Amino acid sequence: MKVSEEAVFRWVVIVAVAGASVIVLTLLTRPLVGALWGLVLVCWACVHAYRWIDRKRRES
Amino acid sequence: MESATVSLGHGHAEEHHGPPEANQSSRIDRQTLGILLFIVSEVMLFGAFFASYFFLRVVVNPSSWPPHPYELPVAVAGVNTAILVSSSFTVHYALEAIRRGNRAGLKLGLLLTWMLGATFLFIQLNEYVHLGFSARDLSFGSIFYSLTGLHGAHVFVGLMLLTFASIRAWRGHFGPDAEDHLGVEVPGIYWHFVDIMWIIVFLTVYIL
Repeated sequence: MKVSEEAVFRWVVIVAVAGASVIVLTLLTRPLVGALWGLVLVCWACVHAYRWIDRKRRES
Repeated sequence: MESATVSLGHGHAEEHHGPPEANQSSRIDRQTLGILLFIVSEVMLFGAFFASYFFLRVVVNPSSWPPHPYELPVAVAGVNTAILVSSSFTVHYALEAIRRGNRAGLKLGLLLTWMLGATFLFIQLNEYVHLGFSARDLSFGSIFYSLTGLHGAHVFVGLMLLTFASIRAWRGHFGPDAEDHLGVEVPGIYWHFVDIMWIIVFLTVYIL
């Protein structure tokens, strides 16, 4: 597991882009649509995190 | 004394006394592990505040949010968000600079980050002054000031860490090797966490 500022910075960029997509969708449609899209992104992040942890556990 | 020497005199007299040596992971240094565990506890703290926010907004469910006649300055907060996000880029630049041995870049990156963070905090305090409601006005006022204030306190702590890192940078500390710039890397990780948290707070409180 390599944890460094570089890896965390990558997450800043990912979260910023995801946040921007929520803002754009909210402004174009309704806050509820933006909230649902945000929820989809959070679910995707959870699945991604679970797979990553599982993969690292198998590697070790 | 002599009797003690005699009682220990079975070949183990030179062995290590006191507590055993602390285990050191080969995968992650203890400073980075420490800040990561701290951030995990901070995520839980913010989680409690977000739970309160969503409880008030969804379960209590007032007819409009923010409740009439309160309004939030979304544009100002948006500019503030851009300022804080850009500060993550400058702290990353500072670290990349010291990895290449560029001390001037490190100082410049840290100084820019500090100034952007201080600007963010100043704008937020200015926003509080001009909002027109206080933490005592409805549950909305309480949770708004609690959530944004909690984050503001974290920005303040981040600025303190950056101040110490800057002082050390100006005194000639830090080097290109990984173990020689942990004093910048650890505050950098914390600063990125504060940045990510603000993006979530901004989306939740101002946009949705």
